[in-house]
Amino acid sequence: MSFYAFLGAIEQGLVYGIMALGVYITFRILDFPDLSVDGTFPLGASVAAVLIVHDINPYLSTIIAFFAGVVAGVITGILNTKLKILNLLSGILVMIALYSVNIRIMGQPNTSLLGYDTIFTPIEAFFGAERYMISPVVFLVVVIFLVIAMTWFFHTDIGLGMRGTGDNPKMVRAQGINHNFMVLLGLAFSNGLVALSGALVAQSQGSADVNMGIGTIVAGLASVILGEAFLDARTVFRGVLAVVLGSVVYRFAIAVALSFRVGSFQLNPSDLNLITAIIVTSALVSPGIKKVFKSRL
Amino acid sequence: MIELKNVTKIFNRGTINENVAIKGLSLKIDQYDFITVIGSNGAGKSTLLNLISGNLTPEYGEIFINDKNVTNLPVYVRASFIGQVFQDPLSGTAASLTIEENLAIALKRGKKRGLGLGVKRTDREFFKEQLSKLGLGLENRLKDRVGLLSGGQRQAVTLLMATLVKPEILLLDEHTAALDPKTAAKIIELTEYFVDEYKLTVLMVTHNMRQALSLGNRTIMMHEGEIILDVRSPERDTLQVKDLLEMFARVRGEELVDDKLLLA
Ligand SMILES: Nc1ncnc2c1ncn2[C@@H]1O[C@H](COP(=O)(O)OP(=O)(O)OP(=O)(O)O)[C@@H](O)[C@H]1O
Ligand SMILES: [Mg+2]
Repeated sequence: MSFYAFLGAIEQGLVYGIMALGVYITFRILDFPDLSVDGTFPLGASVAAVLIVHDINPYLSTIIAFFAGVVAGVITGILNTKLKILNLLSGILVMIALYSVNIRIMGQPNTSLLGYDTIFTPIEAFFGAERYMISPVVFLVVVIFLVIAMTWFFHTDIGLGMRGTGDNPKMVRAQGINHNFMVLLGLAFSNGLVALSGALVAQSQGSADVNMGIGTIVAGLASVILGEAFLDARTVFRGVLAVVLGSVVYRFAIAVALSFRVGSFQLNPSDLNLITAIIVTSALVSPGIKKVFKSRL
Repeated sequence: MIELKNVTKIFNRGTINENVAIKGLSLKIDQYDFITVIGSNGAGKSTLLNLISGNLTPEYGEIFINDKNVTNLPVYVRASFIGQVFQDPLSGTAASLTIEENLAIALKRGKKRGLGLGVKRTDREFFKEQLSKLGLGLENRLKDRVGLLSGGQRQAVTLLMATLVKPEILLLDEHTAALDPKTAAKIIELTEYFVDEYKLTVLMVTHNMRQALSLGNRTIMMHEGEIILDVRSPERDTLQVKDLLEMFARVRGEELVDDKLLLA
């Protein structure tokens, strides 16, 4: 693997790690399998891209993209908690709807950011460094901030309520917590993070595309599961850290798989979903991975 | 204190599985009443408790607590004055949270929850002191996940959580049924201690007839969604386990539908 590929895997692991943290909140903390992220990820990308090409400050655009995700999450939550639609289906409905919404937002299936200032532009100018060096550092800073913020949040009264909600809704209600509100709040945070991740990916790759969200949920789950295979998630902090670690490992696994060549046979990017499915399956069925790495970590 | 007026609960209404679990039931519970609730399986005991706690809402009738109509108040609102312990020892605590985190959730019952730290240093002292009352050594295991505890230990923690912030009403639904006799005795002892210490109004469902007559001041027997016996002390003191068993046999055996055994 070349140095560029190495740095690329780190960069991708970190930026998609933000999305995986969102997936962790729904799947692990809330026990709510939210599939809408396949729509919220490109939503964040679309919103940020459209605002940027309309000369809105890229930082502001990114923040607005985060809140677009929050709104999408709240809608999924309302479908489930107020309209009593099954959680899986609520997510799927929002995901499908967002496909149309994202095209509406952009007015076309994709938006190029070539030639526009992104959140990286001022940082590149300030440090006088190249993009391939800057973006991993920026993503690392964001991820570190999120790991700290989430660890703190999940130890506050509301955070405990949210963890309790995913674990035992009956108990949480009996202790005076409105568990529907906790589900709504968790979905809002989760989808906000996923949209933020989409906004950052769009800016780092220079475009937003309505199809960039396909497989987001599987990649997010792969990261969560791989992380848990490597790092026993006994505490919230370890759990959150494991997700980021899992995301980086996942991107490395993909980079390695794509560079794999036997004779004239080579895997190409369209094989990615198959590879992901295999990675997730092997992480799920083999306690071996855990054992092998446990002694080292 | 608590008043149920003509309450009817129907499950699966309008389907072939329609089931009237509570039939026009009226009941007045005084403050500091400690009522033991008996009745055969499916009599409607759990349903009655769930109607009071708000886990279920009735199709007809009204429920008042302290003269306030609570019929449509959700569980989490009623939780500010109701503590609950369930039959399943696993359902009162969150397994993935630590003991102190579970207690911290209970400590905020009926209070506003914000972004303050859930478990503060001062709370820990209080939790230790409270846990030591259980006599199970849990005061040294604050940071253990609750999932690591036995069923009996978890039920003891649930009981503590139900009373950590003093409720007015304590609802106990066969809360010792899943425990071994020794642990069950310990939980009953703790129950009596908390009820005494905090002066609570209690409804306790049990299948143990001896317990039903020895605990509290009042016993009700349910059958097919109705109350067929309602006795309080001192009349209750003359009742024996065999009297209760006879009544059970009678209501089960023949069609004594209208022959209610109201000894109150
Ligand atoms: N959620 C529900 N859906 C449908 N029917 C229910 C539901 N809960 C209870 N029932 C029915 O209502 C009736 C009363 O049930 P309930 O659980 O109150 O009985 P119980 O007296 O607590 O019995 P047990 O001693 O077995 O706990 C039963 O016929 C039961 O099948
Ligand atoms: Mg019952």
